[in-house]
Amino acid sequence: MKTLLRISCCLLIIAGSGLSARADETPSDSSPQEIEFFEKKVRPVLVARCYSCHSAKAKTVQGGLRVDSRKALLSGGDSGAAIVPKKPDASLLISAIQYDPNADFQMPPKGKLPSKEIAVLTEWIRRGAAFPGNADPAPREDRPIDFANARRFWSFVPAEKKSLPKIKAAEWPQQRIDHFILAAMESKKLSPSSEADRATLLRRLTFDLTGLPPTPEEVAAFVGDESPQAYENVVERLLESQHFGERWARVWLDLARYTDRTANWLYSTGQAHLYRDWVVQAMNKDMPYDQFVHRQLATDFMAKTGPEDIPALGFLGLSPNYWKELQLPSEIIKVIVADEWEERIDAVSRTFLGLTVACARCHDHKFDAITMHDYYALAGVFASCRIKERPTIDDALYEPVRSAKTKIEELQTKITALKKKKPQPEDEIDKLTAEIAALKKDTPHFTAPLAPAVIEEALYVHRKGKTPQSGSKLVYEPKPQDLHLFIRGNPNRLGEVVPRRFLTVLSKSDEPSQFKTGSGRLELARAITTDSASLAARVFVNRIWLAHFGRGLVTTPSNFGQSGERPSHPALLDDLASRFIDGGWSMKQLHREIVLSATYRQSTDIDGKRSEVDPDNVWLSRMPRTRLGVEAWRDAMLSVSGELDRKLGGASLSLTNNANKRRTLYGTIHRREMSTMLLTHDFPDPTAHSPKRVATTTTLQGLYALNGPMMLSRSEALAKRLLAEKLPTDQERVSFAYKLLFAREPSSRETQLAIDFVGQTTGEARTNAWTQYAHVLLASNEFLFVN
Amino acid sequence: MQSFLPQLSRRQLLHQSAAVPGMLGAATFLSQQSLAESANSLAPTGCHFAPRAKRVIHLFMNGGPFQADLFDPKPALHKYAGQKPEGADLATERPTGGLLPSPYKFRKCGESGVPVSDLLPNLANHIDDICVLRSLHADNPNHGPALLQMNNGTILPTRPSMGAWFLYGLGTENEDLPGYVVLCPGKPVRFSILWNSAFLPSSCQGTYINHSSVDPQKMIPHLRNKKWDQATQQRQLDLLRKLDAEAQQRNGEDEAFEARIRSMETAFRMQFRASDAFDLEQETKQTRESYGKGHFANGCLLARRLVERGVRFVQVYYGNGQPWDTHSNHDKSVPNLCRTIDQPIASLMSDLKQRGLLEDTLIIWGGEFGRTPTSENGNGRDHNHHGFTMWLAGGGVRGGMTWGETDEFGFKAAVNRMHVHDLHATVLHLLGLDHERLTYHQAGRDFRLTDVHGNVVREILA
Repeated sequence: MKTLLRISCCLLIIAGSGLSARADETPSDSSPQEIEFFEKKVRPVLVARCYSCHSAKAKTVQGGLRVDSRKALLSGGDSGAAIVPKKPDASLLISAIQYDPNADFQMPPKGKLPSKEIAVLTEWIRRGAAFPGNADPAPREDRPIDFANARRFWSFVPAEKKSLPKIKAAEWPQQRIDHFILAAMESKKLSPSSEADRATLLRRLTFDLTGLPPTPEEVAAFVGDESPQAYENVVERLLESQHFGERWARVWLDLARYTDRTANWLYSTGQAHLYRDWVVQAMNKDMPYDQFVHRQLATDFMAKTGPEDIPALGFLGLSPNYWKELQLPSEIIKVIVADEWEERIDAVSRTFLGLTVACARCHDHKFDAITMHDYYALAGVFASCRIKERPTIDDALYEPVRSAKTKIEELQTKITALKKKKPQPEDEIDKLTAEIAALKKDTPHFTAPLAPAVIEEALYVHRKGKTPQSGSKLVYEPKPQDLHLFIRGNPNRLGEVVPRRFLTVLSKSDEPSQFKTGSGRLELARAITTDSASLAARVFVNRIWLAHFGRGLVTTPSNFGQSGERPSHPALLDDLASRFIDGGWSMKQLHREIVLSATYRQSTDIDGKRSEVDPDNVWLSRMPRTRLGVEAWRDAMLSVSGELDRKLGGASLSLTNNANKRRTLYGTIHRREMSTMLLTHDFPDPTAHSPKRVATTTTLQGLYALNGPMMLSRSEALAKRLLAEKLPTDQERVSFAYKLLFAREPSSRETQLAIDFVGQTTGEARTNAWTQYAHVLLASNEFLFVN
Repeated sequence: MQSFLPQLSRRQLLHQSAAVPGMLGAATFLSQQSLAESANSLAPTGCHFAPRAKRVIHLFMNGGPFQADLFDPKPALHKYAGQKPEGADLATERPTGGLLPSPYKFRKCGESGVPVSDLLPNLANHIDDICVLRSLHADNPNHGPALLQMNNGTILPTRPSMGAWFLYGLGTENEDLPGYVVLCPGKPVRFSILWNSAFLPSSCQGTYINHSSVDPQKMIPHLRNKKWDQATQQRQLDLLRKLDAEAQQRNGEDEAFEARIRSMETAFRMQFRASDAFDLEQETKQTRESYGKGHFANGCLLARRLVERGVRFVQVYYGNGQPWDTHSNHDKSVPNLCRTIDQPIASLMSDLKQRGLLEDTLIIWGGEFGRTPTSENGNGRDHNHHGFTMWLAGGGVRGGMTWGETDEFGFKAAVNRMHVHDLHATVLHLLGLDHERLTYHQAGRDFRLTDVHGNVVREILA
C-alpha cells in the first residue's frame, strides 16, 4: 500500500550558486538541465554499478580508474581516458559497458547493464558529460559522520565576541554593530547614508518597536527635544511601552504557528489566547530568551515556575493535529501519528535551532550531520507527550474543580436520560439542574481557565482486534517511550530502539547523554540553550535583525545548516550572539542595541550608486524601506482614525466584525477558516512554522484597499476626526491629517491637491468629500511604507 | 490575451546575474525573491516543454461518487449480490456488508463504444472526447485527508494545493482576475485549506467564491464599493496617483511603490471586468437554458466564462458539505445528483468545443474517492479509496478511451493502477510542467506536488 511506503524524502538539491564549479570538473556550459540529468539519471547508475570498485570509497580502486569525478574520468585509469566528452563512440567506458567483444574488457563484470542504463550513460557523454564538482551544498557522503569535523561548521562553533574591525570613518559608529557594518561597506567602496530626519526616525522607531504610528504630539516633542539623549530617551520609552510585547509577540507567533482554534475533534475550551498573551507578557517583561525557550517546552518541569506559566506550553499544545480514523488499520494510523511527530520536530528544530531535522526521518540528513538516530531520539520526546489543556492554577487547587466537572457531566447525562421520559419528571430535572448550578457556584476556581498545553503521556497505536481490518485504538501510557528507528521513515518497519537524547552534532560527546526526566522536554530545552547555545543565539539574533531590517544577516532564518545561506556579516552575527548570551539573553537589550545603531538610523533614500553596487542593500549603506505588515497597517488605520482599542490581552475577536477595534494581534486565527483579510495580505499559513513573511502585491489587495469595509469605516472615522478638530482653515486640517498619518507637514502642492479635491461644500457633501479624501490617504503608499 | 511574462526590471536582471539557489526548474529565470517582489507578484517559472492545456476546470464531486454507477460497469455485482466473496472485504471507513449491485444500465456510446451509464444521457454524447480513468486510488478513506490528497497530494494540510502549483509554475493570463478560482455553493469539508498556497507565495492561493448567489457583487469580496460610485472612485484614484507621485518624488523611485500603484489600478478595472466575468446575466437565454438550472449548472457556466478570460484554474465543487456522500439511500440520491450534473457538463463541453477552447482546456471530473460496491446498512455505500473512477477531457487528452481497470467488483484498482500522484504528474505534464522539476525550496528541501512519487500516464495523451 502506498501509504505505508510513504517516504517523505528530501529531494536532491542542486543549488544555483553551486553551478559555477571549477573548470576542470565541470564544463563551463553545464546548464542546470545537464546537471539535473546527471544527478537524476547518471549518477545513480554510476553509484549503483561502478562505485564499489571505481571510486574513492572503493576498498581497492580497480584498474586505477575512478568514475566519481569528471577529472578522474578524463584522466582515466590504467587503460587511459575513460570518456571523451561528446564522443560516446570514442569513450572506453561505453565500449566496456556495451560488452563490445572487441574491447579489452567488459564491465561491470557481474553482467551487462540493462539497455536503459547503457543508453543513459551514452546520452550523457554525447551531451558533454556534465559532472558537477564541489557543488555547494555538497551532499554529505554516505559514510559514518565525522562529528568532530561536523562541529566545525560555522553555525555550530562557539560564538565569540570579536575584536572590532578597522574602519576609516571612525566618527560614524554609535554601537559595536556599526563597526562591522561599516567595515563591510568600506570594503565594497560604499559609505553610509546620512541620518534620517527626526520625524522619519520616530515614525520608523515607533512602528518598529510597538507596531503603531507615533502621535503628532510625540513627533513634535521629539523633533523639539534638544537633549543630547533625545533619541535614547525615546527608545527607552518605546521599549517600556506595553505595546512593545504585542508587536514582537506576533513575530514569534509566526514561528510557533499560532492559532486560536484547534482541530474540532480535540476537546478544547478555546483559550488559545492564553499562550499568545503569555508571549506578549514575556516580551514586555524581557524574559531572558533561554528561559523563554525552556518555559515553552517544559515550564511544567521547572522548579521556579508557577501554574501561571502553563500557557507557555501552547507552543506544543497548539500543534496541528491530524485526523485519525480508528476504523483504519493501525498501520495507516501509525503513519499519521508519525507525521504529527515529524511536524513537532520540524517546528521545534527550525524555530529554536534553525535546523531542518525533519529531513532525517527517512534517511540521514542529506546535507547536515543529523542522523536518523538523532531524529528518532528527538521524536521519542514528542511521542511521550500528549496535547491536553491544563489549568492555570495549582493542581491542588484545581482538583476539586476536576471532580466537580466530572460530577456535572454525570448529572447532565442523567438529565438527558430523564428528558427522554414521558411525561418528563420536571421536579427531578429541576433538582439536578440546581445541583449543577450549585456546583458551579460553590466550587472555588470553577472558572479557572484551561490553557493549551501538553501532558506526559506516551501514545501507542494498537490493532483493535486480531486483524488489520479490525481497526485501531490509541493507547496512552503515563510512562515515556523511546522509539524504534523507523526504517525508511516507515513506522511499520522497525529498527533498533533509539533512546531519547539531544542531537549528536550539537552535543559535546558523540554519545550524548540520554534524557532521564519524563519525556525529556526540559533536558531538550536546556540542551538547546546550553550545548547549542551559540547556534540558538545566532538563530534568534538573526530573527530579530531580520524583523528590524527586513533582511536577515542569514537570509534563510530557519535553516542554519549546509543548505542554508551563509551570513553576510559573520563576525557581526557572532559578536551579537556571544554578547546576547553573556548579557543574560536579554531580548530588549538586543533591540536596544540595534535601534541605537547608526546603521539603523540611516535614511532610506535610494541613490543610483548604492543601488548599482548593492541592489539588494546587503551591505546596508542605507536603511531599507519596509512595508507595514497587515497587523501594523490595520492598527495604524484604527490609531489615526482615533478608534483603536488599546486594551491588552484576552480572547480573540473576528476580524470581519466591523466593531472590532482591537489590535490585529487579537483577530481570530483559525487554521481551517482563515480570515480573507489576513490571507490577502501575506499573513502566513498558521498550519506550519513560517520563517519569514513573503510580501506580495496583488489585485485582491488593491480591491481591499479600494472597497474593503474596514477601509470605508476607517475613512469615515478619520474624516470625522479631521472635521471635529477646531481649526480655522481646511489647509490646517490637511496639515493635521499629514501629521497624523505621515508624521510630517504636507507640501504646498499636496495641500492644494487636497483643497481642490474636498472643495467648498457644507453639510453632508462636506462630510462625504472629506471621507473620500481620508480614504485616499489611508490607501496611499506613504501610509503603508515606512522610511 | 495579455502576456503573463513579467517585464524584467533592472533590479530583477541584477538578481538574475547573481545565481540564486533553490530553483530547480530549467526554464526558471527568475529567482523566488524576485517572484515575490515583481510587479504582479506572479512571475511564473514558465513551462518546461510545450503545454497541451493552458487552463484547467476541475469538476469536483465532493463526497465521492460510486464508479460502478457511472463509468465502470460491474455485472459481477449482480451475480454475487448480498455475498462477501474474497476481495470484497477491504477495510474502508466503516464496516460494510455484502455486495450491492448497481441498478443502472450502461450503453456503449459514441464511436469509441465506451460504456456510460444511462444516468448521464447527455454527457454520453461526449464520450469520444472523454478519457475515463477507471483505476484511480488514494491513501485514505476519510473525506478530510482524501480531499487534501486530491488537492495537494498529501493528507496533510501543510502543502500547497495543485492550483497554487499551477500559478507558481505558469502565472496568470489575465491580471484583472484571480488566476485560481474556487467555486462552491457553500463550503466543502475542510474549506480553505483545500486551496491554500502553504509555503508558496500567498498570491498563488485559490480565491474562494460562494456562488450560491450569482450576483457578482455578492460573489467576490470587496468587488464593489458600497459607498462611492464609479466617478467618485475615479476621482479618488486620480488623487491617489498624484499623491503617490509626490511621495515617489520625495523618496526616490521604488519598485515596490510602483507595483502597488499598478495593483490599485488593476483592482479598479477589475471591479468592472470581474463583474463582467462573473455576470451570468450576460449570457443568452438559450445558453442559460442549455446549461440548465441549479448551482452546479451555474458553476459550469461561470467556469467557462472564467477560462475564456484566461483564468488558469477553476475548481467547481458540486455543493455545500459533501453531497455525493451517500452512506444511506444511495440509489435514491444518485439519479438526482446525476440529473444536476449531466446537462451542465455536457453543455460545458459543447460550449468549450464550439469556442475552440476544449483543445487547450483540460477538464477533470471526479470526487476525492469513490464508494464501496458493498452495502452500508443495506442501502448505502461507504467511502472507497482503493479504486475509483475519474475522467479527463480536452487539453491534450485522448478521448473515447478507458484507462486501467478495477477488480471484478469495482472495489480496488487492479490493472494500470493510477495513484492520485500519477494524476497530478499527468495534469502537470499536460500543462507543460515536469512534476519532478516544479519544485520550491523550503525547510531544507525541495518540495513538489508529487513529493517523491508520480508517473505521467503517457498512454492517455493525445
